Amino acid sequence: MIATLVTPGRHRRLTRRRAVMLALAAVVAGLFMLTLMLGQSLTPPGDVLRVLAGQDVPGASFTVGQLRLPRAVIATLAGMCLGLGGAAFQVMLRNPLASPDIIGVSAGASAAAVFAIVFLSVSGASLSIIAIAAGLGVAALIYLLSFRDGVSGARLILVGIGISSMINSFIAYALVRAPGWSLQEALRWLGGSVNAVRIEQAGPLLAALVVFGGLVLSRSRDLETLRMGDDMAAALGVRVGAVRLSVMMGAVGMIAVATSVTGPIAFVAFLAGPIALRIIGPHGSVLIPAALIGAILVLGGDYGGKFLLPARYPVGVVTGALGAPFLIWLIIRANKTGGSL
Amino acid sequence: MTINHRLQVQDLTAGYGDRTIIEGLGIDLLPGRITAIVGANACGKSTLLRVMSRLLRPRGGQVTLDGAAIHGMPTRALARVLGLLPQSPIAPEGITVADLVGRGRHPHHGLMSRWGPADDHAVATALEVTRITDLADRTVDELSGGQRQRAWIAKALAHDADLLLLDEPTTFLDVAHQIELLDLLCDLNARRGTTIVMVLHDLNLAARYADQLIALRAGRVHAQGSPEAVLTEATIAQVFGLTARVMRDPVSGCPMMLPIGRHRLAAK
Repeated sequence: MIATLVTPGRHRRLTRRRAVMLALAAVVAGLFMLTLMLGQSLTPPGDVLRVLAGQDVPGASFTVGQLRLPRAVIATLAGMCLGLGGAAFQVMLRNPLASPDIIGVSAGASAAAVFAIVFLSVSGASLSIIAIAAGLGVAALIYLLSFRDGVSGARLILVGIGISSMINSFIAYALVRAPGWSLQEALRWLGGSVNAVRIEQAGPLLAALVVFGGLVLSRSRDLETLRMGDDMAAALGVRVGAVRLSVMMGAVGMIAVATSVTGPIAFVAFLAGPIALRIIGPHGSVLIPAALIGAILVLGGDYGGKFLLPARYPVGVVTGALGAPFLIWLIIRANKTGGSL
Repeated sequence: MTINHRLQVQDLTAGYGDRTIIEGLGIDLLPGRITAIVGANACGKSTLLRVMSRLLRPRGGQVTLDGAAIHGMPTRALARVLGLLPQSPIAPEGITVADLVGRGRHPHHGLMSRWGPADDHAVATALEVTRITDLADRTVDELSGGQRQRAWIAKALAHDADLLLLDEPTTFLDVAHQIELLDLLCDLNARRGTTIVMVLHDLNLAARYADQLIALRAGRVHAQGSPEAVLTEATIAQVFGLTARVMRDPVSGCPMMLPIGRHRLAAK
């Protein structure tokens, strides 16, 4: 049988891919447990499991159930949304710079939230809704402005970067005009953090992950084919325009919802895809690994910002500090080799 | 043997933005044969190939496959019949040859279908025909230009399309690899009856390997027919604005042309 020439190689790659994904999932689970167990005080794993099972454990129920669990759950879900949404954009446009946090989607959500905090004194669920709506609106604006006989990747990125800087100047304006009390609130929001999250906020995140994440994952084979260029993908039967539109909607939806819950956690959407690609290699889709890396970045960044640094920092500061050098490295490297992702 | 599909272009007008590249162009491609499209730079060769593979929507006229307009056909159904190798295809970074060739199976898979033995078989056959089986686990980035082009041809083979469109497949290849590639396409045509349509720059290779030549000039068909009928001194002068001598190639018996410039002309 002639197929024996290629079948073993394919099985080998598939096995490796599964092993890597399992390892990533194990790291997510490990960080999740670490967040539940080790804070200001150490809770033994047995107690943690009992609290998770719904039992009342004196001294642990409040710390684990009320403080740490919401934080761990939100960090995981938000990280997955950001990682999956970011990677989908990057793969679709074949450019790591095409991440929603660089082309202005997160900035749009942030600007609306800051505006609402500073000028309308809004908080809670209505703040989230405003942020989501603005994220979607900005994405639609970028799409329309870069549309000419279909959307080309480079044009969309450039339009997005332009819009992003306009929005950032608007945020700066709002912060200058903000009265003291709302300035604190706005800055806290802009930092991107999972401090003070409530477990109810997991609902929208989970829904976004299922609905929008499902939409993106259902296109994963088309996305893989798009990596060979729009022309080649079209010739192989991918409806490029339709795939782009649905992937964009899904990715933007996830990013906007995640941003509305945690604030803009810098660079997670941008970092997750390229990191996942380095780890998983070029075989098969990078989407699920990127979602896991996103969760690892947010969980790890949150934990590191809390306990591993001399002062306590929100997760957005930690991921931002990781992301900026990576961005520079990526640009230098892209100039040398041409493409990536 | 594959089923012979008939690709026809009728009264086609196409272009980009305000520029009209092709106007009122009509051709009928011979099923099961090799057709080479030749012409000067910017005469509309690549544009024509883009319209024929449905990457570009025509302004007027239509391209039909077995009588039905391709711009109305379901994307995947068309992709199963019609394969394309663009001029500079992009290989995802770090992809192995086997995986790249496997991508050619995309049109045969729907949303839910899984990779099966038939796919492995198609990939293995394509690797063997293009003689790159031993490169299967190497990454495309490590290959030489000739090997890479063979990998792309293998991808087109795994695609299993009955009609294969190629945009300047021999660019960037040295003369030995050009011949090897064209021989490979001939084998494919002879063995499987795949209809091959390619844009070629080298007139002598086009005349030798194609059953039908189509010479474009300023977005229109200037001449079409057998190499003997198309590759004439008059056509070369009109299409390329070049003086040339056409003689019989002593090896293949096909017409062969010698370009004549302003220098290095030995005295009679």
